Order: sequence, then structure tokens, then C-alpha cells
Amino acid sequence: MSGRKLVAITLVLVTICLIPFLASAQDKLIRIGAMYPMTGRSGLYGMDSVSAAEMAIDEINGKGGVAGYKLDIVFTDSKSKPAYAVRVAERYITEDKVHFLFGVVSSGVGLAVTEVSKQNKVIFIGTDHAATELTLDNYQHYYFRVSNNTFQSMTAGAMYLKELQKERPWKTITYIGPDYAYGHSQLEEIQYNLKRFGVDFQLVSKYLPKLYEPDYTSYITSIIKDKPDVLVCGFWGGDTVAFIKQAKAYGLFGKMLYFHPDAGGNYELMSAMEGEMPAGLVLSARHHNNWPDTETNRKYVAEFKRRTGRYPTYAAEGAYAGIYAIAKAVEKVGNPDNTEALVKALEGLQIKLPEDPEGFTSYIDPQTHQIVQAQAVGVSEPNDKFPPAKMMLGKWKIYKAEDLLPPKELIEKRMKK
Amino acid sequence: MDFNFIVTQLISGFTMATLLFLVASGLTLIFGVGNIFNFAHGSFYMIGAYFGYQLVSVWKVNFWIALVAAGAGAGLVGAAAEFLFLRRIYGRAQEGGFQILLTYGLILIFDDSVKLIWGTEYKSIAKPSGFTGAVQLGDILIPTYNFAIIAIGFVVVVAAWWILAKTRAGRIARASAVDREMLGSLGVNVPLVLTVVFGLATALGGMAGALAAPLRSVTPGAGIEVIIDSLIVVVLGGMSNFWGAWLGAVLLGEVNAFAVAYLPAWSTLFSYLVMVVTLIFRPEGLFAATRLRKV
Amino acid sequence: MMVSSSKYKFGLLWSVGFVAFALVPVLVTSRYQMNLASHILIWGLFAVAFNMLWGVTGMLSFGQALYFGIGAYSIGLFVHHAGKAWYLPAIPIGLVFAAVLSFLLGLLVIRVSGVYFTMLTLAFAQLAWQVTFKWYDFTGGDDGIQGIIAPGILANKMVYYYFVLVVVFLSVWFLKRLAYSPFGLILRCVQQNPNRVRFIGRSVKMNQLRIYVISSVFAALAGSLMVGVDNSIHTDMFFWTTSGEVILMSVLGGLNQFFGPFIGAVILILLEDIIGAKTEFWPLFLGTIIMIFVILFPKGVVGEIQHLRHRSKSAGESGGRHETHASA
Repeated sequence: MSGRKLVAITLVLVTICLIPFLASAQDKLIRIGAMYPMTGRSGLYGMDSVSAAEMAIDEINGKGGVAGYKLDIVFTDSKSKPAYAVRVAERYITEDKVHFLFGVVSSGVGLAVTEVSKQNKVIFIGTDHAATELTLDNYQHYYFRVSNNTFQSMTAGAMYLKELQKERPWKTITYIGPDYAYGHSQLEEIQYNLKRFGVDFQLVSKYLPKLYEPDYTSYITSIIKDKPDVLVCGFWGGDTVAFIKQAKAYGLFGKMLYFHPDAGGNYELMSAMEGEMPAGLVLSARHHNNWPDTETNRKYVAEFKRRTGRYPTYAAEGAYAGIYAIAKAVEKVGNPDNTEALVKALEGLQIKLPEDPEGFTSYIDPQTHQIVQAQAVGVSEPNDKFPPAKMMLGKWKIYKAEDLLPPKELIEKRMKK
Repeated sequence: MDFNFIVTQLISGFTMATLLFLVASGLTLIFGVGNIFNFAHGSFYMIGAYFGYQLVSVWKVNFWIALVAAGAGAGLVGAAAEFLFLRRIYGRAQEGGFQILLTYGLILIFDDSVKLIWGTEYKSIAKPSGFTGAVQLGDILIPTYNFAIIAIGFVVVVAAWWILAKTRAGRIARASAVDREMLGSLGVNVPLVLTVVFGLATALGGMAGALAAPLRSVTPGAGIEVIIDSLIVVVLGGMSNFWGAWLGAVLLGEVNAFAVAYLPAWSTLFSYLVMVVTLIFRPEGLFAATRLRKV
Repeated sequence: MMVSSSKYKFGLLWSVGFVAFALVPVLVTSRYQMNLASHILIWGLFAVAFNMLWGVTGMLSFGQALYFGIGAYSIGLFVHHAGKAWYLPAIPIGLVFAAVLSFLLGLLVIRVSGVYFTMLTLAFAQLAWQVTFKWYDFTGGDDGIQGIIAPGILANKMVYYYFVLVVVFLSVWFLKRLAYSPFGLILRCVQQNPNRVRFIGRSVKMNQLRIYVISSVFAALAGSLMVGVDNSIHTDMFFWTTSGEVILMSVLGGLNQFFGPFIGAVILILLEDIIGAKTEFWPLFLGTIIMIFVILFPKGVVGEIQHLRHRSKSAGESGGRHETHASA
């Protein structure tokens, strides 16, 4: 009797001692504060990012979390407004006490938020915006980007064009892109890289219509008059759709090669245009649903489709990568609170992503905090495996990640500024 | 100077202009005739595009029927919005301010509703069969769909002008912009007139959205891109002047077309410059018959 | 008797308001709420200054963002190109520039009235936006400029908050005195009956020009204050939606009440933040709330409150007069 009583009391005491641990097990969270545009023209990228991030979190938490912590994320619509996003970031930091700031699609917002991250010493994982400045001129210790920037795309583009010159000689190019930083950067960077690789080319004209310009007719007729061999294009989203539709009627695609290395191969373009999408356009994107044909990529795409009912655009993979990067870093450090250790862990972090081809693993460059990934440039051709798109990319040319980084001198020069 | 190219730019400017006019025509009607500043005009353009998408791409309805239906649909939504909400602010002091606030609320609601119903992905409508090709005039290629747009634009401007200027209904509508009370005391059902006018204006905007959709992408937030340009056209033409709006659109379209070709770095500034110059020197519109009395 | 009692009540309201805002950094639990209060103060100033043009003088300008942007960009551009030391000197430079520009543009815009005036102010602001946007090398275009930190003790957020508080209160007090001065009376007359103003020998145009310059200078002041809060500037500050926000705030709060726009700023900013934090469908909620406001509160929030107070007062007296102007 007394023996059993003893056992009972011991059990009760042990249980009481364990309760605080149980309670804090609920509290062991990695808090992530995410901002994405959820309304308006960029809403698609934001919503896809949200779904992909949630997917990654469910996968990781489903396996028991990381170092005893579960991932927890909050989303707020950034409205693509830098002033508003700064307020939201402040709220995340001071009220929600997040460990990581996460997201953004617009580079303007990214630049404003990275400032907040720097002042408050809170790590900011950039998952989509592509302005090269964020990992060069505006580099700061707490910022990491897990998707390609425009420099990397334009380097791949320049390499493709150089190889192309051997099979299909071309000399003149025209550039068209939206009249803001993103459009300007691509123009600068494609010229810089073509020169760097010693390509013999001539920029005969450049056009910078306003962002969201609905009517490209005059631009199209002007471009046709200029008769370039290659048209380099820097649009994104709905502008690409509008431009291609309008240009098609003028037979532009028969007169010159259409080359769109940063956002031309985005899935939302092919899904929107269905059968109207012309074949033979040379495009690339930061993630493709049908390349690489690896198990990881196939699973990722299929799971996204299962959860949301549609195939992902490139932005989703950035968010997915961001969550996994956070998880890996926390796993290395053991907790999400030691910010400096987490920064060290992220620098040089190797992380296998859906977009990695066989035999390659993405990693974060310690100097610039920019992720280094391979890029594939393809040509549009019929493929109905990803409805509603009727065209996807094929005839891939792959470019190694290390080759896409800016040269050392450029990095030094721009980071010093 | 390449003659062929000049002609090409003239025609491309003209096509741009017609589309611009069609989109702005609804604003001209509602503003000039109804004296309501419909900030949400772009949203009706967007609604028309989405209705068009639903009819043509999902339900496979004939394009031209869908065009009219999409316009009618947008018009019904507009009339409902006027009946339920705008009516309540007529006659208030500072009515203009409330119009802005109310139509801003409408923009928010419409944008989210569209997102809820159709999602955030970009949608598109194919050109109607028979109009997918282009016509070759010497060295110049003109898409046949452009002709359809120009024809429709012309029909609209002639019909609008004729109805407003020559019919009794039109006179009543115009009178409602000048003096609602007087009109009411003459026995006209003014609220009904305003609802009909608003409905027609939004129908025009919606139809323009559906008509433009095969050339653009259908996306949430599509309305914002057209509101400023429509405003400029309305200003150039004079607030209630349909022919003026049409000519204003042509001016804007051509200025843009040639600026793009010869001064590409500055082309985006031209629209605003033209607007500023017009408002300073001829605020009643470039093509108005009478000059504005200076207050 | 009514005058002195309302003056007394008025003084009380001022002090209560000042103290309330002054206590914010002490009472609130997080820096975010202090940040929010800074935004409210600055937008409140911007809206009140704007309403001097609209509610008081009847000039609906859709282009005050132009001056707001100038106030902010003068600091940003000086600091970015000439160095941190230029932060404080850039403020008066920006104000002077705003005054001069608003004088020159004012001469042009007052030539037209009504909707044409509105369009022209919109056009000028958009032109400025377009130029700032395109002039990437100088202004940073739509990347904006970041890392603009106020010098010395003002770099501390709490100190900066009190700085904003003092500047905003002084400015609002000044504008209030202006609104109730003989000049303010003339402005109201200009709105109600321009011809009569001419008959009594006053110039409508000169007064419109004066208030346009004054309102614009305070808009620029608000813009310059904003820089220290966010530490960054962006071309959005020039965009027509920024001009639109002060219009919305004024209508929401009440055009005909001096503090209406301020209250409107409080309401709109709080609503945006709270709803935005809770749901991705904030446009639906915000839009519905706005519709409700418009239909139920034709005089704006402050106006309705005044109206209720008058009605309950005049319920006691027989034949009470209804005033549409604020008495507090």
C-alpha cells in the first residue's frame, strides 16, 4: 500500500515538474513575419508565395519541426507600398517579436524593409524581388536573398546569346522593358555582360514604356522599323502578356528573335496565354515547373498543385526555399534567438532545392548573401502537361551557378559604395 | 523620313486612340452629363473584362454576343451601385468629396470581389475568329482586330453624339447636368435619369474592357491603368463633349505614337504635359465651341 | 459668454489632446504603436493643411502630394548627395522651395476653378512624380532612398516622436488661428460667394493664392517630418493616391470641422493597420466600412458628433440655431 502510494506521489510530482516543459513546448516557435502583395497585379506572386511557404512549413512541422521548434508564420499584404511595409515590419519586430522578416516582391519595398532589418538587427530573408542592389550596393549583414537577381539572369542571357551567335549569327539588338529600376537594371546588365564576354553586338534602340502600359502598339511598330536581330525584353507579368499578344498580330516574332531571360519564362505567362503563346521564343525564369526533371522538383510541383489547384509560378519556389533555409539555419544553431550565429549559419549554407539540377546544390554566397543557383534558358514549344498552359519551355541550355555571379572587381566596387 | 513608317505610326496611334476613347467615353458620359466624378470607372472596365473572360474563355460564348453581354453586365452593376449608394449622396453639401470617397470604396470592393471570384492568376481572352490575322497594305501590316475596334469606336461616338444632341432623351440627360432641381420641377423623374445615365456609362466602360481584353491581360487591379489616361482624354475633349473626347484621344494617341518613335526617353511625360497645357490655356477642352467664363 | 466658455472648452480640448499624444511613448507597449502615432500626427497635419484649401476655401486640390514629396525629397536628396550634415538645413530649404513653387504654380492653377482646378493640380503632381520616377540617377527612381537618419539626438525614436509632436501641434495651432482669423473668414466667403468678396473690395485670387501657398508649405513640412520616422523616401509620396488619402481623411472626418481631417487621419490609419493585420481581404472590409461611413455620416465623423451635441443642447432651448461651422 505505502509502496503504491509512494509510486503515485512520485508520478504526480514528476508530472508537475514536467508541466512547465509541456507548456513551453507550445512556446517553442520560430516566428516569421512575412510581407507579400496579396492584392492587385502582383497579387498572384504574393498568393503563390504564401501557399508555398505554408506548404514548406507543413512539411517541416509534420516531421517534428526543427531542433524542437515549430515554424510559425504571419502574413500581411504589403500592398507593394514601401511606407506601409516599413510600418508592418516595425509591428512584426516590436509586437510580434519575429525572428525573421520574410518575403516581398517589389524591389522598392525590399529596399525599404532591408533598412528596417539593418537598424533592428533582425534577419530578413528576401524571397522574390530581383534588384541586384540588395546584395551589392545596399548589402547589409542581416539580409539574405534566396532567389536569383537580375544580374544572374542577364549573365545567363548573355552567355546564351554568345553561344547563339555561332549557330545563328546576329549583330543588332533592341531592348524594351518597363521604365523603372527593374527595367533599367536589365538593360545595363545585359550590355555589361555581353561586353564582358567579348560579344560583338550593337544596341540599335531601347524603349522604356511606363509600367503597366496597356498599349504597346507604337512601340511594336517602332521596333519593327528598327529591324534588330534580337529583341531583348524585360517585362514581367501582365505586361509580358499584353506585349506578346499585341506583337503577335504584327508578325514581330517572325522578324526577330524574342529573348526574355529574367521573367519571360514565368509559368503565369504560359498559363494565361494557353494556345495563343507563340513557339520559338527564348525565355527563362527563376524557377521552371518542368525543369529540372528531378524527383524533388516533380514532388514540389505536384504537391503545390494538390494544395492550391494550380501550378506554381516562379515566386513560390523562392518562398519555399526561404522557409527551408531558415529551418536549416536554426537546425545548425539549435535555436532561433541567436541572431549572429544564425547569420553565420546562413552564410555559405548549402540547401537542396527543387530548382537544383542533378549533381548541384544551391548555396548562399557568404560575401554577398546572395543564393547561387543554376539557371536554365529554354525555347517555347508545345507541351500540355501543365494545363491550362499549352506551351512550356524545352531545348534547355544550362548555366552553372558559379558562372553567374558578378566578377570579383564588380562586387568589391559596388559593395564599397 | 521613312514614309511607310510614318503612315504605320499614324495608324497605330489611331488604334491606340480609339481604344483610349472607348474607355474614356463612359467617363465623359458620367461626368459631363451626370456631373458625377466616377473614380471607380476603371473598376467597371475591369469588371467588363472579367465578364468577357467568363463568357468567352470559360463558357465559350460567341465573342460579339459576349461583348454586348459583358457591357450590359457591367452596366447593371453600375446602375445597382448608383441606385443603392450614389443616390444617397445627391444634394449633399460637398457632394464632390463624397463621390470621391464612395467611388473609392467601390474600387476596393470590386477589386477584392474580382479576386475572390476569379483568383489572382492572369487570365486572357482570345481574339474573335476572323479577326486574328492582319491586312497587308504595301509594306505595312495592320491587325484586322484593330479595324473592328476603330469601327466600334466610330459607331459609339456617332451614336452618343446623336442621342445626346438630337433626341429628347438626350436633352433631358444633358439638362440633368445643368440643373437637377429645375429638371425635377418640370416633371422629369431625375433619379431615374441619373441611374440610366450611370448604367449606360458603366456599360460603355465595361464593354471597352471586354473589347480591349484580347489585347491585354485580365488581372485584378486592371482598372488603375486606365483611369488616369481616361481623365486626360476627358480633359482634352472638354468634360461632356463626345466628339471632343474622340479628337482628344486621337491627339493623345498620335502624340504618344510619334514620341515613342522619335523621343522615346520623354514619351511618358507627354501625356501629362498635354494635359497641363490644355488646362492652362483651354480648360474647356481643345475642341469646345464656347470658351469658359473665368470666375 | 458663449465665446469665452467655448474658448475655455477649446483650451481644455487642446491640452487633453496634447497630453494624450505626449503620453503615447510612455503608455504604449511597443515601439510600433509609437511609430503608428507618429504617422497619425504627420498625416493629421497634412490633412488639416489640405483642408484649409478645400473645406475652408473650396479649392479641391488633387495634387498636394507634390509638396509633401518635395518636403521629403529635399531632405533625402541633400543627405544622399551632400552628406548627413545636411539633414536639418534641408528642411527650411525644402520649405522655401515649396513656397516658391507653390507660388508659381499657384498663379497658374488659380486661373481655373472647380473640376478644372482639381485636374490641373493632379496633372502637375503627376508630372513631378513622373520626373522623379524617371530621373533614376539623381533621385533613385522607384527604388527611393533609404538610410536617411536624423542627426544627433533626433536619431532616437522617442526623442524624434516628441519633436514631431511639438512641430505638429504648433503647426495645427497656427492653422487654427488662421482659420478663425479675418483671413480665414474671407476664405470662407470666397468659397460661399466669390462675387460678394469682390464687392467688398477684396481680391478672390490673391486670397486663394495665399492659402494655396500656406497649405502647400505645411504639406511640405509634413513630408519632411515623415523622413525621420521611416528613414526612407519613395516616389509614391508624389503619386496621386497620396493626394487622394488626405482627401479621404478630410471627408471621413468632416470637411467643415477644423479637426475633422485630423480625426479622419486617425480613423483611416488605424483602420488600415488593424484590418491589414487581420486579413488579406482588407479591401473588402475597408471598402464596406467606407460605404457605411459615407451613408451614415454625411457630415463626417466630427460633424456628426457636433450635430448631435447641438441637437441635444437645442432640445433644451426652443428654436435652437443649427450651425454648420465648428465651435471648438
